[in-house]
Amino acid sequence: MNRRQFLRSTAAGLLAAPALLRPANAQEGPFRVKYYPVAPGMGSRDTTPAPDGTIWFCGQRNGTLGRLEPRDGSYKLVDLGGGGAPQGEIIGPDGAPWVTEGGQNAIARVDPGDHKVTLFRLPEKEAYANLNTAVFDKSGIYWFTGQSGIYGRLDPKSGDMTVFKSPRGRGTYGMTITPKGDIWYASLAGNHIARIDPATGNATVVEPPTPNQGARRVWSDSRGRIWVSEWNSGNVSVHDPADGSWKAWKLPGSNPRTYAVYVDDKDKVWLTDFGANAIVRFDPVAEKFNAFPSDKSGANVRQLDGRPGETWGGESGNDRLVVIQTAAPA
Amino acid sequence: MRLLFVLLLLPVLLPADATAEEAAAQAFTPCRACHSLNPAERGLPGPNLAGVIGRAVGGDDDFDYSPVLRKARDEGLRWDAQRLETFLADPAGMFPGLWMSMRGIEDAAERQAMVQFLADPSSR
Repeated sequence: MNRRQFLRSTAAGLLAAPALLRPANAQEGPFRVKYYPVAPGMGSRDTTPAPDGTIWFCGQRNGTLGRLEPRDGSYKLVDLGGGGAPQGEIIGPDGAPWVTEGGQNAIARVDPGDHKVTLFRLPEKEAYANLNTAVFDKSGIYWFTGQSGIYGRLDPKSGDMTVFKSPRGRGTYGMTITPKGDIWYASLAGNHIARIDPATGNATVVEPPTPNQGARRVWSDSRGRIWVSEWNSGNVSVHDPADGSWKAWKLPGSNPRTYAVYVDDKDKVWLTDFGANAIVRFDPVAEKFNAFPSDKSGANVRQLDGRPGETWGGESGNDRLVVIQTAAPA
Repeated sequence: MRLLFVLLLLPVLLPADATAEEAAAQAFTPCRACHSLNPAERGLPGPNLAGVIGRAVGGDDDFDYSPVLRKARDEGLRWDAQRLETFLADPAGMFPGLWMSMRGIEDAAERQAMVQFLADPSSR
């Protein structure tokens, strides 16, 4: 089946697809878990909520960006172009999703109105950057990582792009911005986190206390503390740049593999654990975990994002999106 | 005469081979974020790929594989050139639930060059 046939066949996605709803098997809280099936074989992974209430999501295996309407479960797919393999997307100041489009080694903007795709290609000498995650800074500059060992900045207005070599080479992965505007990234293969000075583009490495921890993703809380998902150690850790301190907690279970981290508006920390096939909520005050195992094996939720009352992820192994509602829908 | 013909063709053939090898080496660049072909390099996010052809699927003893690859290893699957090429076309299609995340390589020639690159150290 070629892509055109594939997209045509998934036109069914324009029709309402019933979401699967079940109560969460959690230890506390009035949480509700809902699943939204999307196109089979698309590899639905990173998600982000749009201002209009829809959810954008990447189809890494079929080169599309999806848009889910959670009210009825319908979705549309936008073809990003030949060989597309999108990893993640964030909403820009313009309200549009901006995509780390690894297949075309480009940053892609998708117009939320007509779904027109605009590509900002990386320089030729940075081919095969293995683009990963991005954030917008307070002045509207788009910062991104590439696992080959680069990070970069793109000015969406002028299209000017600068690519920097990560100080310790390969592994540059998740990225976050603090409320003050500091930008941090995690290096999975490099086992560290680093802070980027937006003015100079220089990165300063900060070593987590756990050796070879595999820092994969980072997310800032409201106080500017950096939460880190540690793939190798199975920990979640937090670094406070204000005093240089670190704390770490091992996720529950016999062999946790901490992949994603997201901090919600209440400063609760959400993680995914591939070892337990679960999304895990961590309360930093009580220092307690709640686990939400998927009802299907091999869920592989690779990223989390959300909005007040909702934490979203993509089950890349099951071609579904998942939301955990932490407050009753309005 | 035949030798002369081959010699005349060499400048054409050699760059073509070199280009294929170069393309395979370049295609492997993103993989280097997680994998190494140096047997001494350990502790990366992906298994070491030195000597992968002929090895059991999930066969790097130092690596903690996803459940689907552990199952494949327990079933006795081994990597050969054909299986590796099929895998590279759609990794998650062959092993659903695979922890590794990548889009498959659509171009058959690129896949074959990659298999050759992984199989034969002299091609690197």
